Amino acid sequence: MTAAIALITTPTRRRAPWMMVIVGVFLAVIALLAAAGGLLFPDAMRQDILASLLPVGSEGHPLGTDELGRDVLAMTIAGTASSVVGPVLVALGSMLCGIVLGTLAGYERGWLDFAIGRWTDLLLALPVLLAAIVVSGVLGGGYAVTVVLLIVLFSPSDIRIVRAGVLEQTARPYIEAAQMLSLSRWRVMFRHILPNVSTLVITNVMLNTAFALVAFSSLSFLGVGVSPGVADWGRQLTDNRAIMFDNPAAVIVPALLIILVACAVNVLGDWLGERLSRTGAAA
Amino acid sequence: MNGVMIRDLAVTGPSGETVAPFDADVAAGGMLAIIGESGSGKTLSAKSLVGLLPRGFRARGALRVGERDIDLATPPDRWGSLRGRVVALLLQDPFTSLSPVHRCGDQIAWTIEAARGARLRGRERQEAVTRSLAEVRLPERVTRAYPHELSGGMRQRVAIAAAVASDPQLLIADEPTTALDASNQAEVLDALRALQLARGLPVILISHDLGVVRGRADEVLVMRHGDIVERGRTTDVLTRPQHPYTRALVAADPALTPVAAGSGGSPTAVGPDALVRVRGLDKTFGDRAVLRGVDLDVAPGAIAGIVGESGSGKSTLARCIAGLEQEDAGTIAFAGTALAPGRRSRTPDQMQIVFQDPYSSLNPMMTIGAILREALEAARRMRGSRTAGDDATDDTVTDLLETVGLDPAFAARRPADLSGGQRQRVAIARALAPRPRLLICDESVSALDVSVQAQILALFRRLRDERGITILFISHDLAVVRTLADTVTVMWDGEVVEHGACADVLENPRHPFTQTLVAAARRENAPAARPHPSGESTHD
Repeated sequence: MTAAIALITTPTRRRAPWMMVIVGVFLAVIALLAAAGGLLFPDAMRQDILASLLPVGSEGHPLGTDELGRDVLAMTIAGTASSVVGPVLVALGSMLCGIVLGTLAGYERGWLDFAIGRWTDLLLALPVLLAAIVVSGVLGGGYAVTVVLLIVLFSPSDIRIVRAGVLEQTARPYIEAAQMLSLSRWRVMFRHILPNVSTLVITNVMLNTAFALVAFSSLSFLGVGVSPGVADWGRQLTDNRAIMFDNPAAVIVPALLIILVACAVNVLGDWLGERLSRTGAAA
Repeated sequence: MNGVMIRDLAVTGPSGETVAPFDADVAAGGMLAIIGESGSGKTLSAKSLVGLLPRGFRARGALRVGERDIDLATPPDRWGSLRGRVVALLLQDPFTSLSPVHRCGDQIAWTIEAARGARLRGRERQEAVTRSLAEVRLPERVTRAYPHELSGGMRQRVAIAAAVASDPQLLIADEPTTALDASNQAEVLDALRALQLARGLPVILISHDLGVVRGRADEVLVMRHGDIVERGRTTDVLTRPQHPYTRALVAADPALTPVAAGSGGSPTAVGPDALVRVRGLDKTFGDRAVLRGVDLDVAPGAIAGIVGESGSGKSTLARCIAGLEQEDAGTIAFAGTALAPGRRSRTPDQMQIVFQDPYSSLNPMMTIGAILREALEAARRMRGSRTAGDDATDDTVTDLLETVGLDPAFAARRPADLSGGQRQRVAIARALAPRPRLLICDESVSALDVSVQAQILALFRRLRDERGITILFISHDLAVVRTLADTVTVMWDGEVVEHGACADVLENPRHPFTQTLVAAARRENAPAARPHPSGESTHD
């Protein structure tokens, strides 16, 4: 068996460690800015009509200003928190739903599995962005509403993935050995099965962070995510569309950051997943 | 066709030289066997001959196949043209080496087409495939079958047909029968032998099982820790092993050891005090009846063997008794009390089960200590919930590890750090934690190397002798059951076809299926010293 598998699997891709160093440092800087950016530039949103639409490289405004004379660099840095924290919360919250409901569905089976399965079907049938726009519109939008909404809309894929992982583990003899010891179902589910699907969980949290980042920015861009007047990359995109040719940096910098963070998180998730599954394969 | 010459084959791994340089020759139509336990370097040697070494390993040396010289240091990506055409590899598990979604005929045809460099059509294709199948003694209808429709033995023969369809000049078979049961094993090996003789094809057979080699291989290399410790003609090595390791291997081979040491008394006479009493058990999966009216009695303190091929229902029976599977009809009584189907009616101190695969029966994310501590806590909770006096002093993890012959330092390790035999010991220790009266061993030694197998069997025997634990031992391997069990129950197609004292049943098999099982086991042992001193059985 082992021989056959060893021959069939293609050699694992090995990403050069320097790539991971770059990604790690970049994400650390982003995290730092998310934590301290608002403190560094407490008045990033202050308008200054006299300094309106300064180009890149202007004195005191290295990335220029927008239409309202707000410094692009300061706004971008101050906007890190709003742009990054939401997506991270969405990914974590949705995975929490996935862990609880997916594990229950996969381990208990029966009517619970059926009910949870139909619920995920229903949610998956909804187009994420459209549903978010409608609900935000009805509830009046806002950051917290967007986070909760995206958690609900992101959860079905997590539920399904965790359920699939749990199903696979449940068939293994070590789970039956636990059942032979009459361990409680909660112990079996969360002490035995869950650690063994952690690869799936971690990889998927990373992937979802990237997706949520884009979804969040899209919503902000459409004007339903973040309220106007809050520093946010998506918001910057929508506000500065009109001045694209006067100060391109006002659009390009936040857009680039969204793309870079999404890619970095993806690469990190990929790498973590690969590493974890390699450790698991040795088991 | 000429033979094969291997010169100075060596494999270097991340931690230095893994296989020390050695030479070997295989004559046309001859078979060379490389024997050793897992980790001995036998599989690495085999893979280096087809350029499929895992990442981090490098081979040196030269291989001469017919007129062709191959440098074994050739990087893997340049092996493409040689692999399959010149050297073919047959893998252990016929289920993973065949594609599950393609018909067997197509899979054979692809190899033929790849070898000829041209697509075959209609009749020509059908004829070529039928010819390949006939070589491994398979009927023409197999062409249209999917792998899952065939038995393990037939699948492996399809894999052989596919491997040799490209007309290779050397076939390497890596544990080709390990995943099969006794009668299938014989069938595959015979097909391989016939093909090899008919074509004059040199074969290198890799195995951990001396029984497979006996009577088939011309020459044997015994490998250990990357060194060839013994080599010679098969009969010489098996009858007069020189190296202590080979001697241990031969001694540990259950087919060569005498009948059960502890089979005293008359264990067939099971009184009303049977520990386990099964009556009229039925179980169907879908529309397939897996158990049909099975009766079974297990006397307290006995080792009861259940023998049958895969699919005979023996594992399902064990799982019904353990409550992991719910029977459709029939009764299971434990120590005189009827048990309802399912786990809920059972307590951990009644019975525990030890599974076949030591790799998946331990939680890879927990340390050995944590696994055993959890089992002990479960046992303690259960005892605590009883009002009866707490006379049982608590075992510790150290006690458990010592019982199964492991160093207490293992508590800090994880399953991945342990060998198969060590893991199986941990699984046994976990099963012992609740002090069960019955230990169910479901193919518990089938995945282990022969010498490790012997140690685990000795452990089971000791547990019965010292603790009086009753053991229900399920196996497809007649030879193993014979060395351990007092009674044997033979299952075939969901029914018990024979039951009795181990020696009686094996010396004097009545049911035709038992007779073929015994015959298959005998044939495998034939050229060696006779395992049955009591002579020929009286078939009637």
